[in-house]
Amino acid sequence: MKSLSQRWYEPQEITTLRLWLPIAVGVNLLLSSIEWIREDWLSLQLSLLGAFALGVLWLVLPDGEHSWKRDVAMGKAGAVLIIGIIHYASGMQMLIDVWSTLWLTGPAAIALWWLSSPVISAWAKGTLSTQGAERGLARNKVMAPRLGAVGSHIMLMHAVFIVLLPVFWILDVAMSPGNILGGDIGVSDWTGEHFSKMLDGDSSFWIWLRNSLVVSLGTTVMGLALAVPAAYAFSRFKFGGREASMFAFLLVQMFPGIIILVPYFLVMKTLGLLNTSLGLILAYSVTALPLCVWMLKGFFDTVPRELEEAALLDGCNQFQVFWKVVLPLSLPAVAVTALFSFLAAWNEYLLALTFNTSNDMYTLPVGLASLISSTGQAWGDFAAASLLVSIPVVILFIVFQKFLIQGLSAGSVKG
Amino acid sequence: MVEVRYDSVTKRYENGFEAVKDLNLEIKDGEFLVLLGPSGCGKSTTLRMLAGLEDVSEGSIMIDGAKVTDLPPGARGLGMVFQSYALYPHMTIAENLSFGLRMVKGEGRLADDEIVKRVQETAKLMELEDQLDKKPKQLSGGQRQRVALGRGLIRQPKVLLMDEPLSNLDAELRHQMRTEIRRLHETLGTTTVYVTHDQIEAMTLADRIAILDEGELQQHGAPLDVYNNPSNDFVKGFLCKHIDEIVETANNLFPKE
Ligand SMILES: Nc1ncnc2c1ncn2[C@@H]1O[C@H](COP(=O)(O)OP(=O)(O)O)[C@@H](O)[C@H]1O
Ligand SMILES: [Mg+2]
Repeated sequence: MKSLSQRWYEPQEITTLRLWLPIAVGVNLLLSSIEWIREDWLSLQLSLLGAFALGVLWLVLPDGEHSWKRDVAMGKAGAVLIIGIIHYASGMQMLIDVWSTLWLTGPAAIALWWLSSPVISAWAKGTLSTQGAERGLARNKVMAPRLGAVGSHIMLMHAVFIVLLPVFWILDVAMSPGNILGGDIGVSDWTGEHFSKMLDGDSSFWIWLRNSLVVSLGTTVMGLALAVPAAYAFSRFKFGGREASMFAFLLVQMFPGIIILVPYFLVMKTLGLLNTSLGLILAYSVTALPLCVWMLKGFFDTVPRELEEAALLDGCNQFQVFWKVVLPLSLPAVAVTALFSFLAAWNEYLLALTFNTSNDMYTLPVGLASLISSTGQAWGDFAAASLLVSIPVVILFIVFQKFLIQGLSAGSVKG
Repeated sequence: MVEVRYDSVTKRYENGFEAVKDLNLEIKDGEFLVLLGPSGCGKSTTLRMLAGLEDVSEGSIMIDGAKVTDLPPGARGLGMVFQSYALYPHMTIAENLSFGLRMVKGEGRLADDEIVKRVQETAKLMELEDQLDKKPKQLSGGQRQRVALGRGLIRQPKVLLMDEPLSNLDAELRHQMRTEIRRLHETLGTTTVYVTHDQIEAMTLADRIAILDEGELQQHGAPLDVYNNPSNDFVKGFLCKHIDEIVETANNLFPKE
């Protein structure tokens, strides 16, 4: 008869392998499809073989009852390790080859190491004592978070890599001589010519940058000036048409922006706002308004009413209640909304392209696109400029990071 | 001579519900009046009309002989302690205390050093001297309660209003704060209106209790008078019977020879 601890104990290592081996199989299958595209037949075979062996290893992971499973598992892990080494020896051409070998040898080596440890082999054979199982359970508690942390970091590193890959690519184009797209990554001799051309004193880039800054900051200020009071009113006051206008705000979000392009254009033309920053500021503020109002209203709703009542008794009028109590408490949400408006304006292309047709009124996205015209395609300049354009966005995100998390998890105000 | 008077006050909410019906009640200068009644009987509504947080549908409310029915809350010269404390989370304790003083405009406005002095005094009174630079989040429940009380008192209000101020505290602290509130009242003599649904709290704190049920005033008077001469079945059941049961339970638990 097994004791409670013996029945419940499964080494954390085995639990971890059970979770991660399928992921390793998946990654290897993914890699083999890439190798197929690259027509690298040897690598393809090795990857498929490795994935298969890892899958079998997963099936025969020890369960603490059948001792043969451990021996087969060790054999399989050894086989995967050998496949990985052959793969490595068959020639490393690119980063991706090193990476794909690691996804074979890594899991195999770890599995071999763990399966051969005394505690796990005892457990696998079913000969672990009650005390041993109790100690194992205690050890699991310590190991679980550590192994979890290692695992999540592996995943995060992959995520970061995938996100950064296009950035590296653009960086490569931006720093390669000539204005061509493609070619080998990171091989050719690097140059700063595209950056210096873009940042040159009389380059159009500065004009576009000024326009973009004016439009984006203008949109942020205008958008907030409209959205903050509107959201507060929606959150706190009862008035005729309240529900209807809230709904209308949602409704206009359902139409794709391109539908209103022509009406917008006609309005702007009538008002004489074509080829002005003000026209874009107005258009962007209005477009961003519904979402901003809903976001802010959601946050204002979480500010307890008793706080406002306390302020009223302390002698505030309605405006002071808002200005001195509600707004300071809602700063995270206001910051998120501001960031949202800014980015929406900073990135917008279609309206800017339609309304502002002269080069000295271009915003950055339109200006960038004009580098890739039918007459000449300056990919290098384009890549350099697009990196420069992203810099303010990255800085904004870094600065606002803390606010973003607070602002998006509404209801952080506690009395 | 601060005196509060409800003159035939009725509160009808937008949905037509009458939460307070034709209330006539006087609160004398320096008196500690407890509004007592079961949940939903209209105690908070009664108090909030006095504070100016709810409109009065019919009748009028006088403070100090002046009609305040249509004055904004801040103009009535009241202090209020909320159930959730409602401290301003983004301000330090000192700022929480001084906020009301700084909002005063015109001749009643205190000089800055005057305000600082007042904050010090209040902090001393409430035993908060070491907490002045902290934010409300860093304080315990009992300390927050003290800040809320201090904020209510610092403007030297004509009337201090409290709506179930102890219901968020654990039994031990509640007992402690109850004693404290009574002690403060004895020291300062501020006219006080205190809302609770707890009979023992009412009996121990009040100079006079007013019992409400379904928006109607049932009876008011000194606690023991009401207890000894309940004027109707509701008061008998809600106050007398409840207290008798508590006493009986206590006697059964700790029998006397
Ligand atoms: N804004 C409101 N609209 C409609 N009815 C309300 C409103 N506020 C309170 N009431 C009702 O009025 C009655 C009295 O409420 P209240 O004064 O808060 O009771 P309590 O004695 O528990 O403090 C309750 O039945 C409540 O449901
Ligand atoms: Mg209440």
